[in-house]
Amino acid sequence: MQDDPRPIADPRLAPARHALTVNGRSVTVEAAPGTRLLYVLRNDLALNGPKYGCGLGQCGACTVLVDGRALRSCAIPLRAAVGRRIVTLEGLAEGGRLHPVQEAFIAENAAQCGYCLNGMIMTAVALLTADPDPGEAEIRAGLQANLCRCGTHIEILRAVRAAAARMREGAGPGGEA
Amino acid sequence: MTARGMTENRPDPAMRRRHWQEADDLLLVYRETMGRPPRLGDPPGAAAAAGPQRALYLAVDGAGRVTAFNGHVDLGTGIRTALAQIVAEELDVPFAHVAMELGSTATAPDQGGTIASETIQIAAIPLRQAAATARRHLVEAASLRLNRGTAELTVADGTVRVAAEPELGIPYGELVRGSRTALTLDPGAPLKPVEAYTVVGRPVPRVDIPEKAVGAWTYVHDVRVPGMVHGRVVRPPGAGVDAGLGDRLAAVDEASVAHIPGLVAVVRIGDFVGVVAEREENAAEAARCLRTTWHPLDGLPDLNRPEAALRGNPSTARTLLDRGDVDRALAHAPARLDRTYVWPYQMHGSIGPSCAVAEFRDGDLVVWSGTQNPHVLQSDLALLLDLPEDRIAIERHEAAGCYGRNCADDVAADAALLARAVGRPVRVQLTREQEHAWEPKGAAQVMDVRGGLDAEGGPAAYDFETRYPSNGAPTLALILTGKVSGPPATYPMGDRTAVPPYAFGHARVTVHDMPPIARASWLRGVSALPNTFAHESYIDELATAAGVDPIEYRLRYLDDPRAADLVRAVAERAAWVPHTAPGTHGGAGDILYGRGFAYAVYVHGPFPGKAAAWAAWVADVAVNRVTGEVAVTRVVVGQDSGLMINPDGVRHQIHGNVIQSTSRVLKESVGFDATGVTSREWGSYPILAFPQVPEIDVLLVPRPNEPPLGAGESASVPSAAAITNALFDATGIRFRELPLTAESVRAALDPPRIAGPDAPPRRRRGFLAGLFGAGTGALALGLTLLPWRPAYPSIERPDPAAYSAATIAQGRLVAAAGACLVCHAGPDGRSFAGGRGIETPFGTVYASNITPDMQAGIGAWSYPAFARAMREGVSRDGHHLYPAHPYTSFVNAAERDLQALYAFLMAQDPVAAPAPETKLRFPFGARPLMADWNALFHRPAAFADPARGPDWNRGAYLVEALGHCGACHSPRNALGAERRGAAHLAGGFADGWEAPALTGLSRSPLPWTEDDLYAYLRTGRSPRHGSAAGPMADVVASLAPLPDGDIRAMAVYLASLTGSGPAAAPVAVAATALPASSLFQGACASCHEGGAGGDLVPLGLVTSVHSAHPDNLIQAVLNGVRAAAERFPAPDPSAPPAAMPAFRDTLTDGQIAEVVAYARARYAPGAPAWTGLEAAVARVRGLTPHAGW
Repeated sequence: MQDDPRPIADPRLAPARHALTVNGRSVTVEAAPGTRLLYVLRNDLALNGPKYGCGLGQCGACTVLVDGRALRSCAIPLRAAVGRRIVTLEGLAEGGRLHPVQEAFIAENAAQCGYCLNGMIMTAVALLTADPDPGEAEIRAGLQANLCRCGTHIEILRAVRAAAARMREGAGPGGEA
Repeated sequence: MTARGMTENRPDPAMRRRHWQEADDLLLVYRETMGRPPRLGDPPGAAAAAGPQRALYLAVDGAGRVTAFNGHVDLGTGIRTALAQIVAEELDVPFAHVAMELGSTATAPDQGGTIASETIQIAAIPLRQAAATARRHLVEAASLRLNRGTAELTVADGTVRVAAEPELGIPYGELVRGSRTALTLDPGAPLKPVEAYTVVGRPVPRVDIPEKAVGAWTYVHDVRVPGMVHGRVVRPPGAGVDAGLGDRLAAVDEASVAHIPGLVAVVRIGDFVGVVAEREENAAEAARCLRTTWHPLDGLPDLNRPEAALRGNPSTARTLLDRGDVDRALAHAPARLDRTYVWPYQMHGSIGPSCAVAEFRDGDLVVWSGTQNPHVLQSDLALLLDLPEDRIAIERHEAAGCYGRNCADDVAADAALLARAVGRPVRVQLTREQEHAWEPKGAAQVMDVRGGLDAEGGPAAYDFETRYPSNGAPTLALILTGKVSGPPATYPMGDRTAVPPYAFGHARVTVHDMPPIARASWLRGVSALPNTFAHESYIDELATAAGVDPIEYRLRYLDDPRAADLVRAVAERAAWVPHTAPGTHGGAGDILYGRGFAYAVYVHGPFPGKAAAWAAWVADVAVNRVTGEVAVTRVVVGQDSGLMINPDGVRHQIHGNVIQSTSRVLKESVGFDATGVTSREWGSYPILAFPQVPEIDVLLVPRPNEPPLGAGESASVPSAAAITNALFDATGIRFRELPLTAESVRAALDPPRIAGPDAPPRRRRGFLAGLFGAGTGALALGLTLLPWRPAYPSIERPDPAAYSAATIAQGRLVAAAGACLVCHAGPDGRSFAGGRGIETPFGTVYASNITPDMQAGIGAWSYPAFARAMREGVSRDGHHLYPAHPYTSFVNAAERDLQALYAFLMAQDPVAAPAPETKLRFPFGARPLMADWNALFHRPAAFADPARGPDWNRGAYLVEALGHCGACHSPRNALGAERRGAAHLAGGFADGWEAPALTGLSRSPLPWTEDDLYAYLRTGRSPRHGSAAGPMADVVASLAPLPDGDIRAMAVYLASLTGSGPAAAPVAVAATALPASSLFQGACASCHEGGAGGDLVPLGLVTSVHSAHPDNLIQAVLNGVRAAAERFPAPDPSAPPAAMPAFRDTLTDGQIAEVVAYARARYAPGAPAWTGLEAAVARVRGLTPHAGW
């Protein structure tokens, strides 16, 4: 990089107020528009579900639902989150009842360290909302950009299949909050 | 909903410690030992010198609740659950009444590091004895109260009852209440017989998962302490190599982060560098921006193919076994078989980069850490900070799974240093890149076997040598601060499972201990996995050479009956068909099938070590003989773990071992260049993903009466040999070096190689590149045409009040249409203070300060001076401006617009800072030459066309005059002038970016319609073409104040330019024979193919992928594409909210060249491949990134 005699201020760093809808509640956050949504959820809203994994959109640990889609909060600028419905792992339960995907992951013990669990559950919720009866190949393809290092894939696949069955039987809330 | 005031939910460690030391209503069990567990690198006797130790293992409170303490921690293996099962079983309390406190130094016993999966096998024994000690005491206490002999009593659910009169009973809590009783652990306390077990040996759901599944679990990443600030560290340039560090940092330029809001400190201690800021994103930005200068580091040998580097590393031979007469047996062997096996450097690859929080409280340090080794870390921090150990508390929280040792200890030390420096609690989060680069790697290893067959087809001899670079990896801050220096220590850790399990008559085993090369530590299976790769591949080779079935051959020499039982059971479960030659499983089309076997008992710990669980694999593979891709389709895995505490937990551990080790064998190898690690994200270090996960059939051998054995690693150990033996069965080729990537398998199968993307580099002219490109031609013009123009006299700055608000508002729109700020923005990004450098091949042209400051700006300029500068490119003092200033376009600007612009600029706040002076290299610094240039190329152009409508004419004026689009979008001739005529707006270069053709020459796969252009100019994004980035994003931002009608007019005019030129047809991406790029797949595909960023513009439609030049695609990868999402967030909910991250600090030039070449080949298959890509990436990387977006 060439020497730049003076540092150039980055207007992305200037804080501003942003109104968000997170887990059905309206909140206001004061931060720079370029701040990644992940930092805002974790540091300003104390939501621990989404996890920092790579900051590059590669691993899926930070996944949240944005207007029902499972997206990477580490790649979403705060300003782009304004006006959209954000749902985190903490917001999946409805009326005191866990989402069927959460229930299935608990029942199947589908975690080892559990760091990737947020991304697996959020991606599975979006997947099953879009396709309530996916085949094995569809489930694997739907989760393929969510990385797990412990090798919990077998239990996770079992949990997603079980959740699909629960949701088809109407055992709980059918989609994201 | 706020994080403020939210604290970590456990009480302070000192309070907890005091509670257990002083509170009443407790029954406590302490264990007394002599000395502490040894630390790696302890001098002899140091551990014993610690003297007698008394540590709490168990407490029962007045409510009958049990807290048990263990020094080893849960790494995601479910140890927390299994240990609680052991305690609940031995005490006969409900499982839910047991809480485990793991690894907090204030309360938990020092058991050394959590290594070798020995928690259940070793650490759990005193815990069980502690529970038995407490149980005996409680039964005796009940016996006194109930006035019955202890033999008459039973315990269930935490209540002691009289067996014959079950209504007579006392709960534990009642027995504990009213006193404080401290017992000493009695190893002789009677243990429950296994037959009576009701909790141990049964599947128990993991206690942590319900909280983890709802986001309620507190990982170390989730710890928040009041007043906490955020830290990031800046590591030295030689990624992942700690040799020679401590005094390599030459300079830290604090001014480079002066602009970061909320910056608390820049901390430098020796080679340790960190930044602290109030907000995390600002700490991250500060770490990214901080300029550091380092003295040169030593180069590395080639570690991508590590065999030569390991053979060349100085080593000391250590003989572990010398049986029979190996040399004589080898000399007389009728058939020699000498083989070499090579294991690569691999990563732990924790999904969560390491994190820690540190706080000093009255001089005492508390560190919240995900460490695997809390007490070892405590010792390290004492050394680092010159504090006594008892003033340091490590609060252990779970982190992402680790499988050996990641950066958890490093980041804890980083946090402690930063907390001490700023006097506040500091949370430090490592980046993905730092975790990948600096985690201590699983070491490479080279195994040689010399042997052969005797006359009967048996093994003639087994002469085994293994080379393993050491793995001490001192906590990084100790090295960076110079607390630990000198040559790295060598530890004897290459010996795990180095002795083969077979009864070879003549056998010799030699370990070559050697110092580290890259920073390394133990990784699941440590040296046992590579050693077993050699043992189990070699015996397979012997079997084939002898013409015997591989399993039958093993059983001949396997004299451990438990091992033989397991081998037979697994063979039967897999329906193994004995065979003596490869090819038994046939193939279909391009796919070949094969099946392989391997067995191991994992022997860990210092030689001769302890055996953990036995394991055996039958692996099925499918290999594509054209592409070389290998899939492991099914694994039958058997394990004998003795008594299983939680069979579900063991089964999950086996699944994890099979999947992770399959990933390591098929895919994993750390990339290096001459300075260090180049695998700094998941694309360059791919791991197994869901579609590649094999079917796994687990066979658990029930041995409830045998002692429990560690199950955390054993099932990994046979993996590599089972898979390569299967690959041999499929192809007839032995693979002795890992990983089995498609490239390496393809090479071995020898199909035609596919050409890489690179060809010799080719220079291309950039913006102004041609200005003096003709060199002598330009100079030959001579200095005749008024090289200096007369100066206008300076004036006092005009009073802005002299201009009407309407005029100033009109001037603002002119400035917007002219995008003045794109170049003239000041350091604050807003004012017109100038200073931005515009790269040219001859030097950097700095935009001037055009605020009304009398000295630094244009406050002293009269309107005629200003108008001359705008229209003729002559400064007030008479010197010529470089045509980076687009006076050739402004010459067509309307007088009223220029006057309004002047009024607007004079109404701005003056900024006194002068812009840097432009100094081009000789002879290009000769501004008078511009006079010649102007004479040749500067003349007004006529573009009005009364035959067109008013929109078209308004658009033409905005595009051609005020907007000066041609300054970037027209090619320039050899002297740097915009070309006219057919070449007008036919595409050019600006500031390192290609400005694509706006005419029929556009290479966009879809034509640009008026609506496309309108959307793009208004919102920065066209769903059919892509997003504005670089300088164009600044242009779109600048146009924001213009009314929609003006934007529409520009769209009308621009759409008319595209004419009927043939736009390339949109490309349907066919499944071609293009070899898959694991780098693209791991680094890019989640968003660009998987939708994880929202509905991105498909790469097949993105203009930059189809261009003749790779520059814009390279720019996008290097610097990210953020404006569309974060600067112009679309009201349209279908627009993707994600911004592309910058990969500048993540990928190497070669890696970026690879993804760019792949994207081109895959998404613009009709276009010619770009050549010289790596050089092009290096060139674009060298340009100053366009500020901000």
